[in-house]
This record gives sequence, structure tokens and C-alpha cells, in this order.
Amino acid sequence: MKLDRRCFLALSIGGAAGTALTPLPWKLTDDLSIWSQNWPWTPVPDKGAITYTHSVCDLCPGGCGITVKKAGDRVIRVEGIEDYPVNQGGVCILGIAGPQLLYSPTRVQKPLKRIGNRGEGRWEPISWQDALAMVIDKLKTLRAADKSHSVAGVFGRDRGTVAQLFQRLLTVYGSPNFFSTPSYLDNYEMTLYLMHGMRASVGVDAKNADFILSFGSGMIQGWGSSVYMFKANSLLKSTGRVVQVEPRLSVSAAKADEWVAVKPGTEGALALGLAHVIINENLHNSDFVVNYSTGFETFKQLVLGKYAPETVAGITDVPAEKIVALARAFARARKPLAICGRGQGLTPGHLSDYIAVHALNALVGNINRQGGVIAIPEADDIDWPEATMDAIAVAGMQKGRIDGAGSSRYPHSRSLLNQLPEVLNTGKGDSIETLFVADVNPLYTMPDAEATRAALAQIPFIVSFASFMDETAQMADLILPNHMYLERLEDVPSPAAYPANIIGLSRPAIGPLFDTRHTGDVIIALAHALGGNIAAAFPWQDYPTCLRETLGDKWNELNRKGYWQGPEVAAPLGFGTFDTASSKFEFSNPDLNAALESQPALPQGDATTYPHLLLPYDTMRIASGPIGSPPFLVKSVDETVLQGNDVLVEVNPKTAAALQLADGKPAKLKTPKGEAKVRVHITEGVAPDVVALPRGLGHTAYDDFLAGKGVNYNALVGMTEDPVSGLDATWGIRAKLSKA
Amino acid sequence: MSTIDDQTTADVPQTPEDENGHPKHDPAPAADSNAPVMLSFIIGIVISLIIGWAVFPKLLYSQKTQPVNFNHAMHMDPEISAEGCASCHYFREDGSFSGIPKLASCAECHEDVLGESEEEARFVEEYVKTGKEVPWLVYARQPDCVFFSHIAHVKMGNMECKTCHGDIGVSTQTRVYEENRITGYSRDIWGKNIAGFKKNTWDRMKMDDCAECHKANNVNQGSVQTLRGGCFVCHK
Amino acid sequence: MKQAQNHTKNYLYAMAIDLDKCTGCGACMVACMSENNVPFRRDETDQLLSMKWLRVYKLTNGKAYPDHDVCYLPRPCMQCAGQHEGHSPCVSVCPATATDYDQNTGIVSQIYTRCFGCRYCMAACPYHVRLFNWWDPVWPEGMEKMLNPKVSVRMRGVVEKCSFCFHRFQQAKDRAYAKGKRDIDEQDYQTSCTQACPAGAITFGDLNNPSHAVTQLVKPDHKHHGRPQAPHAFRLLERLGTNAKVYYLSSREWVRKMGDNYLKNEKQAGSH
Repeated sequence: MKLDRRCFLALSIGGAAGTALTPLPWKLTDDLSIWSQNWPWTPVPDKGAITYTHSVCDLCPGGCGITVKKAGDRVIRVEGIEDYPVNQGGVCILGIAGPQLLYSPTRVQKPLKRIGNRGEGRWEPISWQDALAMVIDKLKTLRAADKSHSVAGVFGRDRGTVAQLFQRLLTVYGSPNFFSTPSYLDNYEMTLYLMHGMRASVGVDAKNADFILSFGSGMIQGWGSSVYMFKANSLLKSTGRVVQVEPRLSVSAAKADEWVAVKPGTEGALALGLAHVIINENLHNSDFVVNYSTGFETFKQLVLGKYAPETVAGITDVPAEKIVALARAFARARKPLAICGRGQGLTPGHLSDYIAVHALNALVGNINRQGGVIAIPEADDIDWPEATMDAIAVAGMQKGRIDGAGSSRYPHSRSLLNQLPEVLNTGKGDSIETLFVADVNPLYTMPDAEATRAALAQIPFIVSFASFMDETAQMADLILPNHMYLERLEDVPSPAAYPANIIGLSRPAIGPLFDTRHTGDVIIALAHALGGNIAAAFPWQDYPTCLRETLGDKWNELNRKGYWQGPEVAAPLGFGTFDTASSKFEFSNPDLNAALESQPALPQGDATTYPHLLLPYDTMRIASGPIGSPPFLVKSVDETVLQGNDVLVEVNPKTAAALQLADGKPAKLKTPKGEAKVRVHITEGVAPDVVALPRGLGHTAYDDFLAGKGVNYNALVGMTEDPVSGLDATWGIRAKLSKA
Repeated sequence: MSTIDDQTTADVPQTPEDENGHPKHDPAPAADSNAPVMLSFIIGIVISLIIGWAVFPKLLYSQKTQPVNFNHAMHMDPEISAEGCASCHYFREDGSFSGIPKLASCAECHEDVLGESEEEARFVEEYVKTGKEVPWLVYARQPDCVFFSHIAHVKMGNMECKTCHGDIGVSTQTRVYEENRITGYSRDIWGKNIAGFKKNTWDRMKMDDCAECHKANNVNQGSVQTLRGGCFVCHK
Repeated sequence: MKQAQNHTKNYLYAMAIDLDKCTGCGACMVACMSENNVPFRRDETDQLLSMKWLRVYKLTNGKAYPDHDVCYLPRPCMQCAGQHEGHSPCVSVCPATATDYDQNTGIVSQIYTRCFGCRYCMAACPYHVRLFNWWDPVWPEGMEKMLNPKVSVRMRGVVEKCSFCFHRFQQAKDRAYAKGKRDIDEQDYQTSCTQACPAGAITFGDLNNPSHAVTQLVKPDHKHHGRPQAPHAFRLLERLGTNAKVYYLSSREWVRKMGDNYLKNEKQAGSH
């Protein structure tokens, strides 16, 4: 039989009819639809038992209790702990994004040794043994050459066992040069030292206050322990009032009951103006002033003489009647509380502002009591036996600090990291031969990025303990990566400005993912290898042992509850609360008066070349500290802040009109320290001639989601020192915005 | 097809045309010329039926054997598994279902070789001693878009395991795992029968099978669109 | 369809957001992304393309410095019930039965594997809560480890939206079952954003339960499609009749008026 066309067609039709009688087409359709719904490249997360590990977040000084949620062996979420006293279940945006940091491709996965030029990004993996040998060799050589004081360490904080271990190592090795990151807390500490006569950290009982007068502090932008302050702010919606004094309509200003738009840099004068009204109208707490304070008369004369509302109105641009009304409202509140430190308080600011603001708290007697400002004496958590120092150590320690802190120039200061670039760049002081950096990223966070870069370039050997390849780690010669916070056991000291002494315990939720080591262990290993007195000062086999023994009887409670809370520190008012010569709160003493009357440094640049004023602002959605924003945070940023890779600066419509700039259009921003390409966001939230730029952008390190986006404020601003404290008092810089 | 037509035109002598220009057909009987056509049609049907019913299922599924030949029946001894299936396939405290036990559960008893079976010895050697999880092939694994709560069915619905999984507890060895080459899922979801017919409740695990039972028992019939079960009841 | 439900309790889940407390910090957004496996791309600044189930909008009163004011408004899915239950704008237009209104919970579901990406629902939604996956989701190497197994990952070509963390409802039920209970309590089921909000601005619960905080906050008028009776409470585009289940509270009138399209001198409906 021949297969002609008709037969072929019949065969096909028969085939089709037959196929329709089989499951093939229906099954195939079903399978294809299932296949198309489950592309193999769309990840399917592994299932597994859901477990939780209680820990304490260590991403910022907020110290929130967190519970880390895992599915099988994967960390999938970070949530707040309901009954943790600091944050009571809340958790901030950065804390939630923690798992992205854990699994970030920017993690330093093993010890690295630089092989290319600094910042070139060429590294060679090195074993822990060889890496430690390199450091030990360096330290031994320097010590043998009597240059022990040329070794320095910059740590994120000066409290907590790891920072204290390193400080101890430096001391017995023979160097006084331990630095911690400066902030508003340093100014508060100094204010309490000058007015209360004691070394204490500040506690702000915001939850129990009924009137908060904030001088630029970003109560809901990360000032203090952010979640604690958020909760307090919410509570005040029904129980009290918040007044925000600030030149820009920040979130804190917008959410406050009242926003007092003040001329930039004049907050301190406004505080003294309020003091004038309070004293003049006899609204102050006479019990406190008479019984628990001295120096009131001197203070009164100063304030009454120089800070009449009309005068202050001229300085601050706040109408005199508003000043009077505000002073009355503040003084008549039951628990009025004044706080200070701009934004998140990343730049310490002028000491005189803090003194003026704290004087307000004293005038209303809201000190060391519920709902007030509480001076929390320095904790004695870490009580290691005095180490025996050898001759080299003693000689090294006697050399004095390279930054001048504690010298006759800055007698009350303890660490002045901001002075370091100038000291190194001018070659006026000693040099630093070896620098250790941990939990800090000075190359990004310090003002005058160029000067900082030049200073770091002078240091021959930089060892970084970074968990992430940040800007400073890129400049290092050796990276000894620390476990990141979700992988490590460590004590977390009392949260910033929290009104009680509370130690938290950060516990590993997951074993180290990479070949990293706990910095505490590395410090102990270094000490042991250096031998002699140095080794003897570290009688612990490893860091966990050290932690357990150091915390002693607190350990069990810490381990069980995740935190240890100290006894009530709000000592009832009385003699002994203040440790001044008079045993009273001091409104005036020679050091205090010098500080209060010191002239605040003006922003750099002259007004003719730079007609505008550049102010930074802080937002919770961008991490502005040493840790760069993880992708979720960058994603959350508004379109009025970031467009493509360009940051938008806030500009008043009047300024924009004068410059012929339309909303969203590119512009050039120039300051005495640098220039950048930006776009403008026209808003009535800033005063004319002010240009506001968010902090936390303009990273050159980190991943594609963050690097290269926007401008780093710190690269555009210089450092202006406070004449008394020596800390960085910069609050802005003169700038010129022009059409691109 | 034009080439064939062209060839045909070239090779075959010209068909005479009638006066209207239409080709004249040979006066051959119709039955004779239709026979091969019918035959072709039937052959077509037969071939496609063979392909559709016999060849296709063979091609569609690949055959895989489980990494360890597990004997359920032996483990169901009340002395070993006092709580039946739940001894190994238990609910966690949060109500989630543990599924196939992790190696750690097996190792609780099999830290060392207990019996005389060679398979057990190999299991202990290859997995328990090395700490490597057994890569079990899951017959009942559903796509990721499916949400299924075992506790809702077993504890609250008082259903037996075998209603969906069959009487797996009596098996003495593991079946061959047949994986759909297109979807990557087990044959158990569609069912052994390629036509999708089922005799027992456990023969198939498609959405309609879930819906059938939910409808019959009037469970979670909250949907506005379908007037049946709410989609989120079983999907995520 | 109102049929007797066999052992299924009817919940009516709703959310109240206190805009006086909301600080615009964005924690809710990230809590949502982290919980629901929302992908992220290198550039997310184009808000029309940026996948956010919950987006925080910035409102301004338009006045000049220093009388200017700003308010933030977090916007999850409104879970509209419509004029008769289930007549939600999106549900009524979906040709694929991919989105549905569940009468047991009052939650609008979205089944990604069912959706074929026609985007009718996006056009129908007056709140822009629905977003289309223009790209396949990609995580940086290693970061896919943080994906939540309780929520399926979406593929390119489908629409997705906030689900009031429905998987948490499922888990809450499982937890209740483990304890031998059928009903779940207020605290058993809370959305990720509610739980995360550091300002405590979000309240979530069952409007059918008078003891739940959300019911007490908004005082819904069940006879009038759940219209809020509490002073300062409002819903977005109230007069559109979507019968949304997300309520807002604000003491500022200009904020409340921004919730709907008012004429210049018109009084806000239901304002006290």
C-alpha cells in the first residue's frame, strides 16, 4: 500500500483522535502549567523547625532585646523581645534588617593581608596563626624600640569587656592612646562632671516626663536608645507635650506638639533666654535652687544681664513672646525635661549648649528623680585586679595622649578622636606606628574625610577587626574579622541615655558562618603571646571565661534573663547625690563659667563665597554610623531623598527660585571642603538659604545596593573644635548651591 | 508541501480533464480507495493510544530509589514506636509538623548498629557516623505555593494518616520514587493512574482532592469568587 | 454567600494606624519585606516599580516655613470588603480567580501561581497597593538564606500585595490546635508590621470582637459598612465605598482631609 496524501492525513487525524482519548494532552498541560509556576531559578526556602534565640542587638548604642528567629539553621528574622525593659517588643528598622547583614556579601570571611596599594582592594588570605604572628612581631619590635606609646586603638565604645580588654592591653603594653567614637554622650558626661562633680553617664527618663523640650535632639530619629525614645514619644501623645527646637522641620519636629524654628546654631542662646524668663518670673523650683544648688546668683546675673527675651529673639529669630510662653509652659509642667545633642548626636556639639540646657533641668529641679535627668555613676561592672606594669609600660603611659585629652589644654576630656587627623597631618605630636580599629569606620564617619584619609596614610600598620569590608577596612594592612553580632557572645553596656544601668548579653544565634574570630579572643591571644607582665594581666584562657568571671555574680542572671539591671540609680535628692566641692549642684564654678561663656565656633567658610548653610540631618531609614545601610534600608528611602544614584538636598522654595532650580533638578553643592553633584528637593521644611543633606549616604565601600549612592556629608564638612572640650562642635558648614 | 505536489504532477501521467476543466476520476470502486485511508486512520489511533497510555507515562517519570531502604512495618512495633506514626513524624510544640525525621532522631536509637540487616549497617556507616543528613525523596511533597497544616487535619479533623498517605506503615521496603521530569514532583501527587482515576482517598493529592473533602465536610468555605474554599486556606 | 460555617469562626481582621504616633521611621516597611520575602533591586528609587507591600507616604500641609507640617502615612493593603461583602475592587475584576475575599477572615487573598499577570486588579485598586513583578527576584549570593519558608517566593509576571501576614494566622491556628483550642486570641495573630512598630502606632485585631483594641479604637459602625465612629478616625477614600479595613487616626484635621478628595471648603465627613 502506498502512503498517499489522504492516508497521511487519515493517519494524522487518527493519531490526533487517539491522542485525545489518552491522558497525554491533559496531563502535559497540567504538568507544563505546574512547571511554569515553579521556575527552577525562583528560590524555595528550606523548611525546618522554627526556633528563637534571645539576644541583645549590638548594631548601635541602643541595646535593644531581640529574638532571632531561625528556620532550621537559617536566620530569617529579628524581632523585639516583649518583656525586655529597654525596647518592650519594639525594634528599629536597622535591627530588623540584621539578617541581611549576617548574610551580606560584604562580610570579611577570613583573615586578609593587603597585597596591593591601600584602598586598591587586593587581598591575600592569611591563616589566623600567621596573621597573629604578624601583629605580635610588630608589637614586640615597637616595644623593644621604646615606642610602645605609638600603638593606638580606636573602638566603637569605651565600655564593655572587649573595649576594656583592649584598653588594658594597651595600658600594660605601654600606650595611653585608646580612642572611642565621640558623640553627644561625651558632652553630657562632661556637663555632669562640671555640674554634678562626678564621672557619670546621662540617663533621660523620657517615659515619665510630661513635657520634653528638645534642643534639636532627634527623639524619633535615633537619639538615645531609639526604640525607648520612640515609645516615650508615643506615650507623651496622651500624657504630655513635646516641643522641638530646631532649624529644620525634622521628623521629630513634625511629630512634636510644637516646632520652634530657630536660627541654626543658636539653640544654646535660646536655652539661656528661657532661663532668663524662668528666673525673672520666679518660676524656678526654689526648693532645689535653695537647698541643693550653689552658684545660682552668678548664673542669674549672667542670664538676666545678657539673655533678655528681646535680645535672644534677635539672636535666634524666635519671637520674644514665643520665648516667654515656652519658658512658662516648661516651668509650669510637672516633669519638664530638656534634652540636647543634635539629631542622633553623632557630632558632639558645643559644651556650652549642654550646660545651658542642663541648667534648665536644674532650674525646674528635675534632676535625679523620676521623669528627669539622672546622672548614672560610672558602672563598676569591670573590676579586674590592677595589672603590674613594667618599666616600658610606665614610661609609655607617662608620655601622655597624642590627642591632648586630659592635658592642661583639655583637662576634662578623655578621648578626642577628632583631634587625631590634625595631630598626625601636621606632625606636631608623636606618630602612630600601629593602629587597631574595631566597630568603627572613621574614614566614613569622621568629618573632613580627606584629612582623615591623609592621617591614616601616615600610619604604617593598620589592623582592622572589621566584620564588613567598610571604607576603613579597605585602608587596613591586615583584617582580623570579628564575628558579626548575631554570631557572638558579648556583654552590651547600658544603652545610650537610658535612665537605668542595664547590661545586656548578646548571644550567638548561629555559629560563625565564616573563618572569623571573636575580637575578645584575639586580644587575649595577643596578650598571651606578648608574654611577661602583659600575659599575666590576662589570666583567662579565652574570652567566654573572661566574660563569665568578669560578670561574676551577675552572670547567672544575665544568662537566664538576657540582661542584668542595676539597683535604682535615681538617688533621692540630698547631700551625696552631687560630688562637687560644695556637695551641691553647681550653677556656676570657674570651669563651668569658662565653658558657658566660650564663644561657639562658627561654621567654616565665608558668607560671600558661600551664601548658603549646609546642615546634616539624620533619618532612621539610613544607617549613618560605622555600619552601612543594608539593602532593605536603602529600599525604604523616600523618592524625595534619593533618585537613582543622586541624593536630593532640601531647599526652601525661595532659595530655589533665586537659583532658578526646579524640583528634582541637578545642582552643584560646594563647600570649603569639597563639592558634590546633588539634586534639589524643594520644601518649606527648611529656612531660606539652608541646604539640608541626609547623613549615611555616599559610601564607597559596601555592596552595589549602597555604594556610590548619594554624597557623604562628612566629606563636605570640616572639624571645628569646641574651645573647652576639644570635641568636634561642628553643626554645619557654609556652602554654595548652584545650577549644575 | 508544494514540492511533493510538483513531483506528483511530474511523475504521474496527466489526468484527463473533462469539459469543465475538472479532473476526471478513474472509475475505481469507492470502497477500494477508502480502505487504506481507514486503515491509516485506525493505525493512527492505535499508535497514539499506545503512546498516550503506555509510552508517555514511562517517558514522563524517572525512577529513583530512596537512599536507604526503610522498613516502616518493623518500626511500627509498639515497643519501638509507642505512639505509632507520631513517634517519628510528630508535631512540634508550635503545632508545626516535623515531617521526615532528621538524622538526629534516627541516631537516638541507631547510634550503633542494632539489628542484623545490611541496610541498617550501611545507614549507620554512611550517615550516622558521618553526620550527613539522609537525602530522602518525599513522595508527598507539594509545590511551595501550597500551605498544608497536618495538625488541623490529624488532631482537629481526626483524620488518619493513611487517608492521604495510604497504609504506608505496613510497608517493609521503600517504593521506587517516580519523579515527573517536567515538574520535578513525585508521581504520588497526580496519582499512579496516568488517567487520574482514583479508587482510594490516598491515590491522588491534587487541589481538587483537597477541595472535594473540604466541600463535602463544609470546611472553610469562605470564598466569594468560587463559592467554595477560600484560596488562602491552602495556598501561601 | 452566607452559609453556616462548619466549625469555622468568622473573624473580621482590621488594622488601625495612629498617625500621631507614627514617626515615619520605616520599620514597618522593612519588617514587612523581611517577613514576606519581598525582593529588592539595586535601584529602588522609582516608586512605580519598587516592590513594597507596605509603603509609607509623606503628606505635607503645603504651608510656608515655619508653618509647614509633615505627616507620614503607612499604607498596607486595605482588605476592602466592598459594598456587599467580597465586592472588593480587585476581586471583582480578576479573570483568573487569583484574588479572592475570604469571609472567614475578611482578608483579600492573592495566589501567585494562579495569577497570569493581566494587571486588571492593579488598575482597579484605588490605593495602589498591588504591584507587578517585572523581574525575577534575585538575592545576592548567600542572602537567599534569610527567606521565610512560610511565605512563597513570587516569580516574574505576577501581581502581589499585602496579605495581612495571613501565614501568621495559619501559624496561630496551628499553635492553638497544638493546645487543643480552636479559637485564637488577639495576641496570637499580629501582623509583622504591627509587631515591629517601635512607636506602637499600629493596632491589629478582629472587628467582630468588641474586646479587641482595634474595635475599641475605631468603633466601627457595622450597620454602615464599618464606618469609624471614633473621633479622629478615618479611612482612605471613604466615600468611594470600598469599605476598607485599615483605619487611620489623626488629631490633625488637614491629615484627615487628605484621606479623601474634598473640595476646598468642604467639611470632613464624620469629623467631630
